[in-house]
Amino acid sequence: MSYENGMAPVRALEDDSDVEEEALVADYKEQVQYGGGMDELDQISLAQQADEIQARLVQAAQPLDFQATLETKFQSYDNYCALFHYILNSDGPVDLEPPSYYWAWDVIDEFIYQFNTFSSYRARIARQGNNEEEAQILRDNPNTWGCYSVLNVLYSLIQKSQITEQLTAMRRNEDPAAVAGPYGSKNLYRMLGYFSIIGLLRVHCLLGDFSLALKTLDDIELNKKAMFARVMAAHFTTYYYVGFSYMMMRRYADAIRMFSHILIYVSRTKNFQKNTQYDSISKKNDQMLALIALCVAFHPTRLDDTIHTALREKYGDQLLKLQRGGPESLPIFEELFRLACPKFISPVPPDFDRPEANVDPIDHHLSIFMEEVKTNMWSPTVKSYLRLYTTMDLKKLAGFLDVKPEELRSWLLVNKQRTKQLRWTDNGLLEGELVNISDLDYALQGDLIHISEAKMGRKLVDWYLRNLSRTYA
Amino acid sequence: MNGEDPQERPEQIRNIINGLERYNPQAADVLEAYLQQQCEEKFCDCNANRALLKLYQLNPDRIKDEVITNILVKAMTQFPSPQFDLALHLLSPSHSNPGPNSSSDLAEAVSKLRVLNAQLEGAQYARFWATLDSDDIYADLTTDIAGFEEMIRVRIAQLVSQAFREVQTSVLEGWLGLDSEEEVKKFVVETCGWKVDEAGLVHVPKNPENEAKKTEIREDVSVDMFSRVIKRAWEDNA
Repeated sequence: MSYENGMAPVRALEDDSDVEEEALVADYKEQVQYGGGMDELDQISLAQQADEIQARLVQAAQPLDFQATLETKFQSYDNYCALFHYILNSDGPVDLEPPSYYWAWDVIDEFIYQFNTFSSYRARIARQGNNEEEAQILRDNPNTWGCYSVLNVLYSLIQKSQITEQLTAMRRNEDPAAVAGPYGSKNLYRMLGYFSIIGLLRVHCLLGDFSLALKTLDDIELNKKAMFARVMAAHFTTYYYVGFSYMMMRRYADAIRMFSHILIYVSRTKNFQKNTQYDSISKKNDQMLALIALCVAFHPTRLDDTIHTALREKYGDQLLKLQRGGPESLPIFEELFRLACPKFISPVPPDFDRPEANVDPIDHHLSIFMEEVKTNMWSPTVKSYLRLYTTMDLKKLAGFLDVKPEELRSWLLVNKQRTKQLRWTDNGLLEGELVNISDLDYALQGDLIHISEAKMGRKLVDWYLRNLSRTYA
Repeated sequence: MNGEDPQERPEQIRNIINGLERYNPQAADVLEAYLQQQCEEKFCDCNANRALLKLYQLNPDRIKDEVITNILVKAMTQFPSPQFDLALHLLSPSHSNPGPNSSSDLAEAVSKLRVLNAQLEGAQYARFWATLDSDDIYADLTTDIAGFEEMIRVRIAQLVSQAFREVQTSVLEGWLGLDSEEEVKKFVVETCGWKVDEAGLVHVPKNPENEAKKTEIREDVSVDMFSRVIKRAWEDNA
């Protein structure tokens, strides 16, 4: 028996310890039980302060009606501008308390959601080219819900609140209040600033800038102490966008880790979720399962039992086809990507005069993604054959597969190159070390393929701990 | 990731891409000059180049076609990596997906480069060189990038060394885009430092990648993993 450490390329160890999730679940349970009373308190205090500005704060967190007219959308934009202008540009920090601990998240979430839907709507009007009246209004107001103003709001909130400095201090175990400044020491600013960082993650991702999206979270540690973990929707959104960005950067192991974490968390908190909240989460839940299916197709790995079962129930047929690879898998990749991707937008107004020139951004990003899918589509076939041998002649294998030897050489190179992946260890989300993520390795000596398969030692300690905690619970 | 954060990046560029200056349309000039420097000095800073594409994304009036294609060609030299794709994601959809009704020069150039890149990513190196020779437009697109072909060739050789212990010269001839076995021998001996035997077989020195050694994955056990069990046991007793 030989096992190597140090010299051989590092093989990644599967990390499926669920200690983190357990702790989060316990935290959340406490919060929900406690939160029950909080809501009533909120309403009473609201009734008492029928203050106009408080009403505006509450209003800003309210979702816009699904069928809102263009006029309402413009009006809503103006309201946000006025509110943020008041918060950011008054003489000194304004003296307001956020109506609830999740208010700041709701505001930023709704603000970006409206920006997102407005941009998509505008692009659709331009593409369809049959609503001249609305097209004219949109043409005349290119700056409403403009990308620069949305970015400006988010960055200003981050800067004013000194949230980056505060988070850095917290990571060094120093007192954040020392660097918070006059604005950042107020709850309102600190929370708006914090959730603006998550908002930026989302906006960058919507615009197709996946590495910048991940870089935005440099100051936020993804663990149970993070502030976003207190607001379920924020927690959920963060992991969705981080996971998606990882997937687009071909860091499938990291993407799977992100999606798994949040899906396990959701499945364990399901029983004490309030129903309304759970409905909105359940759609995203399915989307993330679809994304896990895509990632697992690129990077086969053992999933957590809960997720594996859910995946098989929801996308069993698709998963099989994805894992088999080849041209038949392509439509499934497309289908699941469309189903699960964010609603990508273009940052600039569309060309209203040439409807046919406006390509849907989703098609654009999908076509780039599919290029990588096509490059890798033969890897499952190649791997399934290689597993059967320790040495194999290339020409013979090419005969089995009914392809030219040149073609097979390319497939072998592609598969080998893709087994090395950046994988997060600690520090920023973009950092990581290059590891060999496959249990199958091979090298060629002329036309002779030498194959070696890594043996999985049994994970006894992990098994023991899991079952122990189950008996306790 | 290759070509993400090179050591050559000057202080000024670092400040632009790490701060709010990255949104200032005027920063485009500095980033364009920096791209020019990358093209001449044969290094690559895809991160900074994406900041430039981002500025173009937000300010389409500043777009310079040849800057976009140069960024893409630079990103392509980093294969296999997501760099080219990450750059593509920042282009306007109409620039990278030429529809039947909207053919612009830029859209055509981008789609040509996507073909090339797909061949490199798919390890179809012989086909890559053939494509490169098939159309004069490729010479135009790569002309600003000093040493383009050489960089690609060296990169291919490096990738070959990670998968092969021995490889026939005839295979390498196609992959490296060279015209004769003599040239191949010259290249692998002088540039790569490999050996060629009388039978025309190229021997690649041993490295961790081309060994394909057997390994066993063992479980990492740390004290922390037991913390909850111990805590629990302690609490039950208390």
